[in-house]
Amino acid sequence: MAKRAASDRALPLFGAGATFFFRLGLALAFCLACGTGAAVFAYYHSSWWTQVGFAPDQPVLFSHRHHAGDLRIDCRYCHSSVETSAFAGLPPTQTCLSCHSQIFADTAMLRPVRLSAERAVPLRWNRASRLPDHVYFDHSIHVAKGVGCSSCHGDVTRLALAAPAERLDMRWCLDCHRDPAPALRPRDEIFAATWTPPADQDARGAALLAARNIPAQPLVDCNTCHR
Amino acid sequence: MPSLNPLRPTDEFPPGADRLPEGFNRREFLRLAGASAALAGAAGCGRPAKTLVPYVTQPETIVPGLPTFYATAIPWEGFARGVIVETHEGRPTKIEGNPGEPESLGATDAMTQASILSLYDPERSHAPLCAGQPSSWAAFADEWIERRRQLSAAGGKDWALLTEPTTSPTLRREIIRLLDRFPSARWYQHTALARYDEDGAQPDCEPERAEVILAVESDFLQRHPASLRYARAFARRRRVAAGDRRPNRLYVLESTFTATGAMADHRLPVSPARLRRVLGAVAAALGGEGGAGGAADLREGEGAFVAQLAGDLRARAPDVLCVAGAEQDPDVRRWVRAMNERLGTIGRTVRYQAPVRSDGDPRSAGDLAALADAMSRGEVSTLAILGANPAYTAPEDLDFARRLEAVPWSAHFGRHRDETGLRCRWHLPESHYLETWLDLRGYGGEAVIQQPLIDPLHDTRGPAEIVRLLADATEASGYELVRETWRGAGDSAGFEESWRRWLNEGRVRDAAPAVASLGPAPAAVTAWPSWDVSAPLAAPFVIFRPDPNLGDGRWANNAWLQELPRPFSALVWDNAIFLPRGLAEGHRLAEGDVVVLRCGDRSVRGPVAIARGHAEDCILVHLGGGRTRAGAVGDGRGFDAYRLRARGGLWTEGGATLVKTGAVHELVSTQRHFSMEGRDLARWVPAAQALLPRKTDAAGSLYSPWPRTGHAWGMSIDLSTCIGCSACVSACQAENNIPVVGREEVARGREMHWIRVDRYFEGDEGNPRTIAQPVPCMHCENAPCELVCPVAATVHSSEGLNQMVYNRCVGTRYCSNNCPYKVRRFNFFDFRAPADSPVHLQENPNVTVRERGVMEKCTYCVQRINAGRIAAERDGRPLRDGDIRTACQQVCPVEAIVFGDLADPESAVARRKREPGDYALLAELNTRPRTTYLPKMFNSGASA
Repeated sequence: MAKRAASDRALPLFGAGATFFFRLGLALAFCLACGTGAAVFAYYHSSWWTQVGFAPDQPVLFSHRHHAGDLRIDCRYCHSSVETSAFAGLPPTQTCLSCHSQIFADTAMLRPVRLSAERAVPLRWNRASRLPDHVYFDHSIHVAKGVGCSSCHGDVTRLALAAPAERLDMRWCLDCHRDPAPALRPRDEIFAATWTPPADQDARGAALLAARNIPAQPLVDCNTCHR
Repeated sequence: MPSLNPLRPTDEFPPGADRLPEGFNRREFLRLAGASAALAGAAGCGRPAKTLVPYVTQPETIVPGLPTFYATAIPWEGFARGVIVETHEGRPTKIEGNPGEPESLGATDAMTQASILSLYDPERSHAPLCAGQPSSWAAFADEWIERRRQLSAAGGKDWALLTEPTTSPTLRREIIRLLDRFPSARWYQHTALARYDEDGAQPDCEPERAEVILAVESDFLQRHPASLRYARAFARRRRVAAGDRRPNRLYVLESTFTATGAMADHRLPVSPARLRRVLGAVAAALGGEGGAGGAADLREGEGAFVAQLAGDLRARAPDVLCVAGAEQDPDVRRWVRAMNERLGTIGRTVRYQAPVRSDGDPRSAGDLAALADAMSRGEVSTLAILGANPAYTAPEDLDFARRLEAVPWSAHFGRHRDETGLRCRWHLPESHYLETWLDLRGYGGEAVIQQPLIDPLHDTRGPAEIVRLLADATEASGYELVRETWRGAGDSAGFEESWRRWLNEGRVRDAAPAVASLGPAPAAVTAWPSWDVSAPLAAPFVIFRPDPNLGDGRWANNAWLQELPRPFSALVWDNAIFLPRGLAEGHRLAEGDVVVLRCGDRSVRGPVAIARGHAEDCILVHLGGGRTRAGAVGDGRGFDAYRLRARGGLWTEGGATLVKTGAVHELVSTQRHFSMEGRDLARWVPAAQALLPRKTDAAGSLYSPWPRTGHAWGMSIDLSTCIGCSACVSACQAENNIPVVGREEVARGREMHWIRVDRYFEGDEGNPRTIAQPVPCMHCENAPCELVCPVAATVHSSEGLNQMVYNRCVGTRYCSNNCPYKVRRFNFFDFRAPADSPVHLQENPNVTVRERGVMEKCTYCVQRINAGRIAAERDGRPLRDGDIRTACQQVCPVEAIVFGDLADPESAVARRKREPGDYALLAELNTRPRTTYLPKMFNSGASA
């Protein structure tokens, strides 16, 4: 008993450097916490998460830059229901073949299109611009009110493969729903992919807002997009 | 104090709250929890890839994202009702009435709404079965060719065809063609429900012209092929807002409560023993000799009723109307016809026309009883049954199921391998009406081309194709058969153009003449029937009626209709033996006691429910329960009342006995769910005061009012015309992806309907005054639910909608607790159908399918508001009143529900809300609901 009591006295509970290491540990833990937070924040705002600029693989290497840019084919040739329906529309295989039964008809690149038509099996495109399921977005009303394609989809004439141009999150939607004027365009410029706001867009947008009878309040009601 | 669940008044927790789900144990839980945690981590690493799949060749009429609408018809006991069906990329999702079709006028009933679910019923027959083994149409054709050759030799002797009575010109033509080819074959017709013709004539009426209506055991407002038209006309005449004409007055004589009886200004519960006596007294009071007896032996209530009725009829003739229930004995219907003759109403409010349905077809060999007799004589060696289910619906004393098994060769065509299909050699699947080319006639005689909305989902055939297959042993397309019928009808040169117009409008407007009115009836028909009122009729009586939701039982496998509360009893997933309280107490029976109900040597066993408003000694049973081969949804729900039925007393049977068994069966009724604790909610006024101004309940508020900038959505519900048919509940279910929860969950008060129909009774239990009150979300301006939500999942919109944001909801249920109207519904479990169920094809793509743990409620059909607004803004025009209609409003046959913009003073809803009777539920709480009510008006004063 006595021997054990003596050894207890000989060993102090903490060594000489304990306080230092404890402080170092606290500092490291703090840095780790801040760093993790910063990393999450950075990741969340980076394209890794938002996918902005990331083009998904596609069954056919379709280039918007070539078709909409070089050839100046109107958006509505393929996305034909953008003015009438919630869904802008994706071209059926037959739309591709209306040109490609003549042009580049037997290239390897178009083989999936030919197979689709021959076998009556649809092409399966990977979605580039993606909204969550609980958002009910309607293309037709945005087009009717003067929001152009490039306001959300960017300048597709510069993209080979389709990629999202904006975050498409709720804050981004609300920025415009709270103040639509900067995005409003005259009718004949809605499908212009390279549209940039003119210098007097503030005045023009305000005039269009009034002329097109766009009510302010319902645009930010929850039920406008969620039901 | 009434509790939410009357069966367990003292439980703090709902029954079953402490019970684990079946098949659940600790090891299983830990294994699944571990696996879920591991998988959840892995699944969080990426977002699911989503593909876009365009058409290869896009159909001309389809714009992805936009619904397409087609006009067609639903058979209602064989009669057409015009409908317009909404399809999304080719899949039918919602049925609406066809405003241009005279039998629908834009409205539908609950069964029509729910019939879309039956299209996607996973238990429908998929392919032919021979002796229970999978087979094919080709195999059937091979066997049939051989059999047909043998039959042809004898001209079709011993061959019987059994169908349901039909109004289809094409089907009738095909049947006649078959009979011409096989002169000795015989065609029988069977319906378990009523025939609508009498003495070779079919009565049709115009209730809007009538100032006084006498309904004798007739539920013409709900249970009739023309009920939508009748209810619309009745309601138009009842609405007195304009004050320019008198509201009608309805007298009803009936043994058990019906929707029509609930609308009556004067209702007399009368048992079959007293009915003829009362009718005789009415005739005598009008100076007729109708029936023996007079006012002498009437009871007190009867005398007053007869005196006032006779006075009103005399004063208002010929703008009066008498109708009799199709279930009544011929002599009662003859009495009504004679009465109409005497009052001069023929050609004015009622006309007798040639029958539209084939019941009395001269080529038909008779009904099911005639077939059963032929079978017992051994005269049927080959039997083809088309559509009907006689093994289930035949009266018990025909012993049809056993006789059917003895038929050497039988084939059954139907949507399910039901009780009949089970007993036939062949079962051949029939298409749903939304998959079939056919034509039908409405009760008034106008034809509708029934065009399919979708190719058959399974390997099925339509009825006309099947009859052609039987006649020729070759396959023909229904499309060609129907066109063949109509090619000759109109101008043959312009046939294609006419055909397109008929399909487009959903009615054959100009081709065939409507059914002709008949000339004056022979005196023998219009003479007063003679009956002997002194003959003793043995009480108590069993009254047979079709189930209000399931009809003759054909909708038993439809979960929406099983879970739709029945009128008056609010029973779900069950049926009961309904007794008046006096009779129940006489037998010492309480609600839920299981009894054996016996008539002669036939008996059924079922639970007792106490019913209000029955005549003394009248026991009501509903046909359509107790199916054994309906499918997983419908099997074993309630008892089978057909087993009590005899060929001699299809609708009424005397001398019944009740024997208590001692067992107790828990009946599930929603009558006391979501109770608002007996406050002054359902109001009524006498007609004379309907237009008088009343004090308003408006009070000040400490909250500042919501700014009113644009539209202000609101709703008005007129209790005066609501017949409580529950079509709105069913329509809401179809429109808003509302799940069914099952019997056990309803017993716990967890049903999900966004709109409910409350039923209030007042006064004498034997003959109460009753009000049906639809209750959706009130969309309060000072909404109590919004204040208590901790996550702002329910918030106010600028247009006055009380919005529900599912993605924010964390399921605290505070909102539901704070809602004084009890209109919020919580997903206690994941009530969605399994992921691979075809039922998902019915879902509305514009409404979120809610998951477990989320609160939901009526949204005023916000998807329709948005769609209407977007369409108007896209076209650059202002939104017009009527552009946006909620699902409940659109379906309502009596136009009781009106929705619209309160900011527009000329809108229909704003005009209704200016009527003096307009009131809010629980106005004293100052919630300022956007949904308000007009009180029920009873026109029972001294003179009409």
